[in-house]
Amino acid sequence: MSWDDKLLKQAKKIIKLYPQKRSALGPLLHLAQSKDGYISDDSITVISELVGITEVQVKSVSTFYSMYKQEPTGKYLLSVCKSISCEINNSSEVINKVQEFTGLNNNETDEEELFTFEAVECIGACGGAPAVQVNYETVEGVTPENAINLCKWLKDTKPDVVVADEMQENFGGIKSFDWAIQDNSGATSTAPGFQTLKTTKAKK
Amino acid sequence: MSEKVNLNVNGIDIESDPNKLLIEACEDSGIHIPRFCWHKRLDPVGMCRMCLVEVETPRGKMLVPSCTTEVSDEMVVDTESDVVKKAQEGVLEFLLINHPLDCPICDKAGECPLQDQTMAYGPGESRFVEEKRHFEKPINISEIILLDRERCILCARCTRFSDEISGDPLIEFIQRGNKTEVNTFPNEPFKSYFSGNTVQICPVGALTSTSYRFKARPWDLKSTRSTCNGCSMGCSIELNSSQNKMLRILGVDNDAVNQGWLCDKGRYNFEYLNSDSRLKTPLKKIDNELVEIEIQDVYSELSEVIKDRQTKVNFLLGSNLTNEDYVAFREFSEIISQSEKSFYLNDDKLHPGLFGENVDLAKVDDLNSSDAIVVWAEDLKEKIPVLYLRIRQAVKNGVKLVVFGHTNETLSDIADVFYGKETVSENFEIVKDISKLKEIKDLVIGKNITAILGKSTPHQSDTSVTKLFEFLNSNSNSKVLNAYSKGNTYGAFQTLENVKGLNDFVNEISEENTDLLFIVGADPVGRSVYSNQIKSIIEGLDTVVALDNFNHETSELANFLIPMSSTLGEKEGTFTNIEFRTSRIDKLVPSPGQTVSDWEFMTSLMNFAGLTVETNSLESLNKKAYENLDSSLSPVFDNLDKPSNLDGMVNVSKPKISSTDNNSNEAKFFTGEKLYGDSATERHSDSISLLGSKKYIEVSEGVVEKYNLTSSKCILIQDEFEVAVRYEVNKSFPNDLIYIPTNRRELNKFDFSREIMIIPSQVKEALNVN
Repeated sequence: MSWDDKLLKQAKKIIKLYPQKRSALGPLLHLAQSKDGYISDDSITVISELVGITEVQVKSVSTFYSMYKQEPTGKYLLSVCKSISCEINNSSEVINKVQEFTGLNNNETDEEELFTFEAVECIGACGGAPAVQVNYETVEGVTPENAINLCKWLKDTKPDVVVADEMQENFGGIKSFDWAIQDNSGATSTAPGFQTLKTTKAKK
Repeated sequence: MSEKVNLNVNGIDIESDPNKLLIEACEDSGIHIPRFCWHKRLDPVGMCRMCLVEVETPRGKMLVPSCTTEVSDEMVVDTESDVVKKAQEGVLEFLLINHPLDCPICDKAGECPLQDQTMAYGPGESRFVEEKRHFEKPINISEIILLDRERCILCARCTRFSDEISGDPLIEFIQRGNKTEVNTFPNEPFKSYFSGNTVQICPVGALTSTSYRFKARPWDLKSTRSTCNGCSMGCSIELNSSQNKMLRILGVDNDAVNQGWLCDKGRYNFEYLNSDSRLKTPLKKIDNELVEIEIQDVYSELSEVIKDRQTKVNFLLGSNLTNEDYVAFREFSEIISQSEKSFYLNDDKLHPGLFGENVDLAKVDDLNSSDAIVVWAEDLKEKIPVLYLRIRQAVKNGVKLVVFGHTNETLSDIADVFYGKETVSENFEIVKDISKLKEIKDLVIGKNITAILGKSTPHQSDTSVTKLFEFLNSNSNSKVLNAYSKGNTYGAFQTLENVKGLNDFVNEISEENTDLLFIVGADPVGRSVYSNQIKSIIEGLDTVVALDNFNHETSELANFLIPMSSTLGEKEGTFTNIEFRTSRIDKLVPSPGQTVSDWEFMTSLMNFAGLTVETNSLESLNKKAYENLDSSLSPVFDNLDKPSNLDGMVNVSKPKISSTDNNSNEAKFFTGEKLYGDSATERHSDSISLLGSKKYIEVSEGVVEKYNLTSSKCILIQDEFEVAVRYEVNKSFPNDLIYIPTNRRELNKFDFSREIMIIPSQVKEALNVN
């Protein structure tokens, strides 16, 4: 088993939340991603044993969803929306600028393993188009200039935790609506920030 | 059953059972709807959309997939409208977008549903000019199965089969959308006992077997329907040959037996038929050398031995014979020797089974209609694989499963209750009071039970199983399926009297009572736990005649070796399966060289010796086999060849087994057989020889501790004799249990009544038999 005791304990806690073991597959894959930055074959083996299905069944699920990465990503995963609402609000220019700044093509990671860039389909923030995600923390109303500023800020300060509210304040524009997350405490890795997964900063 | 529903399809009124799928209801009424993904033995998925039909709804006519739509009363359906045709053309055009159209080199071409349905329903022309998607082709997903992902149309038949039917989902869809492919996990091959079925149900040439690949064209194939004699299940099969060479075996959907499925051993263990090592001429041993001899000379020499009719003849019979062969041996023994005869079957210890007056014998189909299934037998997945599939199917339909015995762990995954090492001891005795087991109370008492009972290992005492049966019989409405696993054992039961096992053979056969011994299709020296004893007995006899396909460790001890034609496709006859269902064995290819059927040999020998025999033809032997049965019910050729009886005829006849019970405590380790072994036929079937050559044993956790085993290998030692093997830890074994599969050469040379030593080993040598 390539998972340490702490992670296994966490995994077992997650499994207990569900009436059937295999229902925990999704969160466990997020957990695996928070460990390695992607879903490794080792993690798949561990998960398959934990939930009692075969490895290829886990692989099937993990490759179906594009939020589970099959390759290691950089410290910051930049996802720029390219779907219709963002597109008509100039997301293609945002994409161009981000690509220019990072020098990355779609789904590429830079040599320092700092940035991974991807142009993605709708991330559910049409009201505040164009939208960008950094490690799945959403920033809305991002202008091409602000997109570069955001990248610069990430590159210069290299924050360990990226927080949506903070980025929204500094680099965002119009917000679709108040997401009503009382204490948005950010993502600590390229897995979405969940309390149960401990992939977010501890509560203040 | 509730009332029928009436629906109108293409202007014709049809009737159907409610809850039926539309595609099935139409099929039953003779209206064919094209399909790729739908298969009647698999759950519907609606993957391919080929079966779209128009159904009238309150909102007007709608296109619905008929494989996921249930029939309802007064439904109006059109399967041939212009809209439907357009939909079918569209679906086919989409399916063909990424299909390579390499039909000229594809094995499926000629029997390919995609090819056929494109002809019948397709647009005729392609508008696709872009590059198709590409994959490496083909990839090995197991030692015997190849996958060409370019040809795959993503119908999910193979993945559903492995998940729903065989329960070893080692193949799945990977990725999504345009990138979707079927694949295995890296380094985790599609190692399934049933993988060949996926090749058969693949509607395109994406899955192919190494065995049949590039061997023939479907339109060149000759085919006939027959019965598999690999185990006692007696699956219905279709034999395919081209240019007089057997090339392929397919499963036939016999609802009562195998429902279209086969295990890989049944499917691929025919390749030995074409082996160059087969015996093709009679041989005689002269000064320890086997030399070729004319068959006439064999007859004349043997007729010298038998002509006074006072010869003491004995028979050691394998399980790969037809019922007619067994009758021929019976007739021979009746004519030659006056005294009462025993027939020894090639079975380590033949237990008497449960056939008494108070026993209600079950059919395989009873599995589905009972409340619960109770199993205590050999590992059924290893020994009767398709019966294992039928149990899985019953469990999927809601039948409860109670499994006894640490050797039945393959069933424990799907069992509602598994009584393992806490309940069943090392000596295969139930150590707890059965009536006090809580789950038994809930699932068994007062219910309809089908009990599959047999011995887990040859040395298990007969009484342990009987005890369980008696409990079931007095507390529930139970039926019994006796789990004898070997080939045509039930055919021998039906046709022979006084059948015994090898344990009685080694105790009873000696120079004094045997002038002439026939060993027919059996290799007890190479495959039995009594190997050493049988060898010395045979060496002490005057005249031993072996009839076999190959020369092996037993036949090389014989004085005469007669080349036998194989029961797979080289001769006609009948086979009786585990539920006493008799079905036809048919001939498709000529016997090579001078090979003869066993019955032919015996009949000719008697003719040559000037003895008058009534049963001198296959038909007469066939009639003789069932002479006690009511003629309209008896499975003679005339009846079996009627279209209504193709699935076989059930005639329960209680066998006369006169084996002696044995004491389980004599065994110091326990023996059994895995599905794949290294018998002569398996060694000479390329596909099987890959799978059955690994030398390994299974040990309990206690053994690992006791002998300090660390690496994956160890050495077994008994006196001077030692063998290096791999070991696998089996957590369901109690205490210090060691399991040795005896269908591996060398491993059966250990004396089971004496202790065996194990020492850890670091040897680097490859531990394969071949």
